Amino acid sequence: MTLQEFYTAIGGDYEGVLGRLMRNEKMVQKFVLKFLNDQSYETLIRAMEEKNYEEAFRAAHTIKGVGQNLGFTKLFSSAGQLSEALRNGFTPEAPALAEEMKADYQQTVEAIRALQETLNA
Amino acid sequence: MEQKSKEKILIADDSEMNRSILTDMLEDRYEIIEAEDGLKALAALQRYGTDIDLVLLDIVMPEMGGFQVLEVMNARHWIEDIPVIMISAETATSHVERAYSLGCTDFISRPFDAMVVHRRVVNTILLYAKQKKLVGMVTDQIYEKERQSGLMVDILSHIVEFRNGESAQHVVNVRTLTDLFLGRLVEKTDRYHLTRADISRITTAAALHDVGKIAIPSEIINKPGRLTQEEFAVMKTHSAIGSKMMDDLPRFYQDDPLVKVARDICRWHHERYDGRGYPDGLQGDEIPISAQVVALADVYDALTSERVYKPPFPHEKATGMILNGECGTFNPLLLECLKDLSGSLQQELSSTTNTRVSPTSITNLETEMHRYEELSASERTLHLLEHERMKYSFFAAMSQEIQFEYMTDPPMVTLNTWGAQRLGLKETILDPLQDDNIRSKVGEDMDGLVRALRATTPAQPVVRHDCRIKIGGEVRWFQVVARATWTQDEPPRYAGAIGKAVDIHDSRLRMEELERRATHDALTGLLNHASAKERIRARLDEAPQNCFALAILDLDRFKAANDTYGHIFGDRTLKYLSGRLQESIRVGDIVARVGGDEFLIFLEYKGNLETIVSRIYTSISGGAFEEFPISISMGIAKTDMVGTDYHTLFQAADQALYAVKRSGKGHYHFYDGKMQGAFSAISPIDGGESSDGESDNKGEDLP
Repeated sequence: MTLQEFYTAIGGDYEGVLGRLMRNEKMVQKFVLKFLNDQSYETLIRAMEEKNYEEAFRAAHTIKGVGQNLGFTKLFSSAGQLSEALRNGFTPEAPALAEEMKADYQQTVEAIRALQETLNA
Repeated sequence: MEQKSKEKILIADDSEMNRSILTDMLEDRYEIIEAEDGLKALAALQRYGTDIDLVLLDIVMPEMGGFQVLEVMNARHWIEDIPVIMISAETATSHVERAYSLGCTDFISRPFDAMVVHRRVVNTILLYAKQKKLVGMVTDQIYEKERQSGLMVDILSHIVEFRNGESAQHVVNVRTLTDLFLGRLVEKTDRYHLTRADISRITTAAALHDVGKIAIPSEIINKPGRLTQEEFAVMKTHSAIGSKMMDDLPRFYQDDPLVKVARDICRWHHERYDGRGYPDGLQGDEIPISAQVVALADVYDALTSERVYKPPFPHEKATGMILNGECGTFNPLLLECLKDLSGSLQQELSSTTNTRVSPTSITNLETEMHRYEELSASERTLHLLEHERMKYSFFAAMSQEIQFEYMTDPPMVTLNTWGAQRLGLKETILDPLQDDNIRSKVGEDMDGLVRALRATTPAQPVVRHDCRIKIGGEVRWFQVVARATWTQDEPPRYAGAIGKAVDIHDSRLRMEELERRATHDALTGLLNHASAKERIRARLDEAPQNCFALAILDLDRFKAANDTYGHIFGDRTLKYLSGRLQESIRVGDIVARVGGDEFLIFLEYKGNLETIVSRIYTSISGGAFEEFPISISMGIAKTDMVGTDYHTLFQAADQALYAVKRSGKGHYHFYDGKMQGAFSAISPIDGGESSDGESDNKGEDLP
């Protein structure tokens, strides 16, 4: 799997991110792989379980920001909707949006792992 | 020379990803400091100050958000010197507007383009660097101009002095006095609407008050004896001449506030409040306040300085002459200022003496000043600041003490690294008064400290406060020495404190131990007589109307026990008895060893005293210590019978005890008033057998 294929797989915007990071493919790749280390997702899941919606909002907001920068369009969009639903505390639509975002996140992470394997091979 | 270090950029973002993307883009050219929340960002700003050249700030962060950081930067005026670029996924216009209104320089929305971020960062830093440089240049130029005009005024007034043959000190003194009088005057009244700038202007212009004397013939000016009527008339023209000199300046200068003030002073510094001065005979506040003040300063300095025709008068004499009206009438308010400043005038005047230059060295002054030209004023200040910061952080890191800085807004405490480690706390703590971690270490003693700090004044901001602090599971005594910080506002506001905590646990325990030893009997651990007496007197004085009783008791046949079994056994018996005594009394009762085998019990009672005494007596008398049977004789006196004088009370109980001793020992007896003049039990009739040689002390309350 190439970096470009990876972006296609997750519904991302490869051209966009390349443009923003000075067309430096290595740099894009580095940060994509680094996304695996980001703790915001764990924080979000925990905060939702503990009903700490303030923290959940911040975590969703962070995922939105990172996703946006890395051109993970699908994840950025669902994280964005979730963070808006949590901005002023809990709303009834939040759990469904959280599920949606989780699915996008899983998809993204799995694709990154596949990319990683290709690179290590 | 060392290469200039890289500019510093503070990146505040809660996402490590975001920080590392930004770091990647910028670290080649800049030194990066990272902060994962707003609070840490503030701590970094606090620590590095204007060493930070730019802040990249996220909006949504835990602990403290980006807007709050901006608010604090505004409150502390950091925003004026440190540019902030906000980077956020928030795109709502309201956010952008709020960011700009809080003084941020630029707003970059996500997703950001590396080129754009890089370019904006570079531009902002360059812009600020230029601005800083321009501000520095302008400041230096203003400083230089001020200095030069001050120098010109000085030169001019020295020329006048030189020609007048007055002491070179006169002009300096008049300026100093003018400044002091005006300072005091505005403290007393706002009648004259004097601003700081006005005062500074009047003080500068005061130097020119006698400039008109340039036009007076030198035979008159330098005549050693008294002036004739005609000569004096000529002399008096100097004030009008001085004002004319100002009027004759080119038009361009005439509107200058300094020239206007100088004109007023030259013309009217010989006017008097009652209208009997010259040249115009103005009255009261028709005379500008500038001229009134300079007139008083002029007269005071003339009196206290040496002149060809008179010796210098001491301050008291000079003040007396002025207050008596011997030098004409002055504004009563100014006379009050003179009186108020009486204590400090001479000292203020002498402290300016040394900083002065003689007229001949004026040229030297100019060359001297050029020496500093290379280092400009603002650069010097920056160097000094940087040096101070380095010094502070070095000493803070070296010293083995807990140091802290506390600010009330936002409520935050910063600890030095060593102190934070010792306490097991974080270096920066938000809302410290509500923080459970701090509470668990310092507890309620912190509230006392906070109260003490709030109760300080800007004039006396230092407090010492002993606190118990829990360290590594052990509670230890610390002394906190702290200085409250007050703002420069009017009125000043309490803004926090700086201070340190020193472990005084061991010395405090030693003090407590010494105090305990001084008040307690070494053998039995009970109070000694002197301290018991003190406490009993305090109780009696506190509530003289209440019912109190004093019992004196001793151990029957103790001398025999001592003789038979030895002193060591005697001592053990006394300890044993002390134990029984302590068990028998109630909380609030006082028990003490008077000396030898005599003890006292002091108690407060309501209702039947007989019952209480009987219970105590039964619990201490009877039984045996090893072979030795414990039998107690006890005499009791009550305050409702003999009054609350300790001496009388003690004597009465002693006499009751004596009566018991005479009637066969082994029981107790109340003082009934019939024993007046009887012998004392504590005199060596029965018991001279003091086991520790205290028989000298115990006699002090005996007749």
